[in-house]
Amino acid sequence: MDFLAKLYLPGVLALGGALLFALVSLAGYVQLLAREEDADTRRFARRSYALFVLSVLMGAAVLVVLLLRRDFRIEYVSQYSGAELPWFYRFSSFWAGQKGSFLIWLVAGSLLGLPLREAAGREEAPVMGVYILTLVGLLFILVRETPFVMLSQTPTDGSGLNPLLQDPWMVIHPPIMFTGFAASAIPFSFAVSAMVRRRYDRWAHLAFPWALGGFLVLGSAILLGGYWAYKTLGWGGYWGWDPVENASLVPWLLGTVLIHGLHVERRKGRFRRSNLVFACLLYFSVLYGTFLTRSGVLADFSVHSFVDLGISAWLIGLMAFFMLGSLYLLVTRLHKVPTERSEDPLLSRGTFLLLSMVVVSISALVVAVGMSSPLITRGLSHVLITPQQLTPQSWAVTRWLSKFAVPGQVPPSWYNLLHLPIALLIALLLALVPVLTWRAVPGREMAKKLGWGGIVAGIAGATALMAGVRNPFHLIFIALAALALTTNLQKTVQRFQNGGLRAAGGYLAHVGVGIILLGILASSSYDESTKVTLEQGVPRKVEGMTLTLDRFVPRQGDEKERFEVTVVRNGKSFLSYPQLFLNDRTQQVMAHPHITHLLLQDLYISPIEYDPGEPGTARRLHLRKGEEATVAGTRLRFLGFDLNAEGNALQAMQQGGVVAVGATLEVVRNGRTERIEPLYRFTPAGEVDSRPQELPGGGEVVLAGIDASSGAVQLEVRGVEPVAGPRPKLAVDVTRKPLIKLVWYGLYVVLFGGILATVQRLRDAMVLERVKV
Amino acid sequence: MNRRVLYLVGTLLLLAFAGYAFTSFQSQLTPYVSFADAQRGVHRTLQVAGGLVKGSSSYGDGALSFTIREPKTDATMRVRYSGVKPANFEDALSVVAIGRWSPSERLLEADKLLVKCPSKYQGVKPEEKTYG
Repeated sequence: MDFLAKLYLPGVLALGGALLFALVSLAGYVQLLAREEDADTRRFARRSYALFVLSVLMGAAVLVVLLLRRDFRIEYVSQYSGAELPWFYRFSSFWAGQKGSFLIWLVAGSLLGLPLREAAGREEAPVMGVYILTLVGLLFILVRETPFVMLSQTPTDGSGLNPLLQDPWMVIHPPIMFTGFAASAIPFSFAVSAMVRRRYDRWAHLAFPWALGGFLVLGSAILLGGYWAYKTLGWGGYWGWDPVENASLVPWLLGTVLIHGLHVERRKGRFRRSNLVFACLLYFSVLYGTFLTRSGVLADFSVHSFVDLGISAWLIGLMAFFMLGSLYLLVTRLHKVPTERSEDPLLSRGTFLLLSMVVVSISALVVAVGMSSPLITRGLSHVLITPQQLTPQSWAVTRWLSKFAVPGQVPPSWYNLLHLPIALLIALLLALVPVLTWRAVPGREMAKKLGWGGIVAGIAGATALMAGVRNPFHLIFIALAALALTTNLQKTVQRFQNGGLRAAGGYLAHVGVGIILLGILASSSYDESTKVTLEQGVPRKVEGMTLTLDRFVPRQGDEKERFEVTVVRNGKSFLSYPQLFLNDRTQQVMAHPHITHLLLQDLYISPIEYDPGEPGTARRLHLRKGEEATVAGTRLRFLGFDLNAEGNALQAMQQGGVVAVGATLEVVRNGRTERIEPLYRFTPAGEVDSRPQELPGGGEVVLAGIDASSGAVQLEVRGVEPVAGPRPKLAVDVTRKPLIKLVWYGLYVVLFGGILATVQRLRDAMVLERVKV
Repeated sequence: MNRRVLYLVGTLLLLAFAGYAFTSFQSQLTPYVSFADAQRGVHRTLQVAGGLVKGSSSYGDGALSFTIREPKTDATMRVRYSGVKPANFEDALSVVAIGRWSPSERLLEADKLLVKCPSKYQGVKPEEKTYG
């Protein structure tokens, strides 16, 4: 029982209970499978499931309480949280580490099971059985790697949350991502249960809204992650083809294929077999992505820090279990699945949907191969002749193959290169689908329907040509994307008029894809970036703009230290505030870009390096109440002490706490009069904390000392007098990102359309369950 | 008949794409190499890893220059990186640099850095960040 002493029992018991109830519920559902329609068995299985959910929630609640109460006895709390963090970051450090993220995954998964068992209708027993199995897999990982390990010695403070994660977007991004991952097990459960029961006629209807919903949630998470990267990381992009990003993209692409396949199956009874395969692939891609990014195999290849928790074997075991199990089912069942033969004419919706699914699958395959490239090449280096082993007698084929036998990875450019033809095809297919029907469409009618779209495409292409786009592929791409946008918009309007907003969801989502395609091309292929060093007060011309570094702005309250840069563009001027600040905890310099959203482009100013130059000499002033002094044209008058700046100072002094005294100053500069109040904080032990206060119009003042008996203050005034030495310099990276807003707007449209479609399909599925009983 | 032609065209297009994917995979693969291999110039874009030589880094003209040492061979290599200077770079334990070897300047022109810093978070493995 020695290891128990190192564990925090309430949490461990909750998770242990969860495992127990999950297994009991699983047993109940297995029984229900044999005795269908037995109300007692069903109730038993359902109650056990409810208890399982309750236990999981209790386990999560224990961790939340430990985090909020700053219980640093717990290893996880001390590793990812800190005493000084505000409550919401202490809360969000729940999913800052791997163990906690598996727990949030489990929480999302167990909660999704509650509506799932209602919606599964008569398929409840097999679907819930498979679904609980996937959750048990997660629970095994959590039992092996529990977040409730206690330290032998309690540290006084935690290590704090990684500063990059201290961002509102990062509070909500991971839970949404893990909900998406959890949802990927639902279509899988429907598919497996259909194969187990050999009933292939209903699962597509039932699984469709879940597949759509999961696709939406995962898409939102990807959007949030991209936006966070763009806003905070400072390298100017939103997508870097990093393994962690790819691990969420592959399931999303496979989900795209699955929802289109399910759509056709519902309507036409086709794609029955491929849909079963893709439902399985979708879940595998989530497991595989988790394995790649969590097992430490890519440690040298990714931005995100991966620590091998020793769970690789578990993850491999989990993958092998689900893969072999469903592979067995697919092999033994698939050829017997009844499916409709394709009789689609060439120019019909069916053919084009099939083509789109093929193209998106290829995209998923490309990304999967790319993110596995370190593993593939490492493996090949053991199998093939490596470049070092080549001899002059080696065959040309061996030479060619040897180049694959070097452990390495493919760069982002590889993904981009292969996705240009893919994106072109997708734009083309997307543009034509709305003008097609399930039956053959005569060429003349198609041409008529394409009329408006053709005009818009022509205008878009011509505009791009005038804007300086010369690459013929890009021009074709822009025209096709504009065509897709228009035809889908027309169809959306038509659907809306006939069946209301809900009926238009699918096509509206396609409008969004058209917008995104335009945004991606413009912002990634036509961005312009310049590095420039700005000297304080000296205007520099950059990319048709004039940039001037005004000043360094010291930290004020929650606002971190930053730079003020005036940008003049087309006669209009605005301020930009790139940040370079010292993280209090880690003493690391953090860079934050500043983004100005203009009508057609984003202006992205990222700080690189700051040289403070020769600091201006400080002038010391000693002022009694009512006295004034002038420093280089700036007049300062001391009006009096403020003893209530942060609670009553006299009271604080009696209680022996931190005493804060403010000095009210009147500053007259350039004919303007303003009041400021620098603070002086001290403790009975004699520790003094006095931060510089910014002076209106530049420079700063520090309250260097107070003399209560004579009622005087010591002031230090800096940065007001002109300096002879080298001036401060700030090196920045100035990037213009044209039309990047289209990426975000397009994603919003896709998500909104997707929500409409999901609502519609959920109703369909529920109606179906009621009618056919 | 018509349909068969289309299947043929489709298959050919797929094969062409697969060929394109393979050749570009091979030519763009960024291999992990030793310092000696890097300096032999066999690979165009490559990645090397080594410990940062203390006090070797300097920043000027928008570029960061530093020296890394290969643990196994004790060989050193000069690296130049033009980009945002990584936070706390001077304290880096080891650096993975991705870029091209420039034989004329005898240094690695890096366009991406992966920096492993000693963790400020006690008890946790070094954290990593990528720049570029």
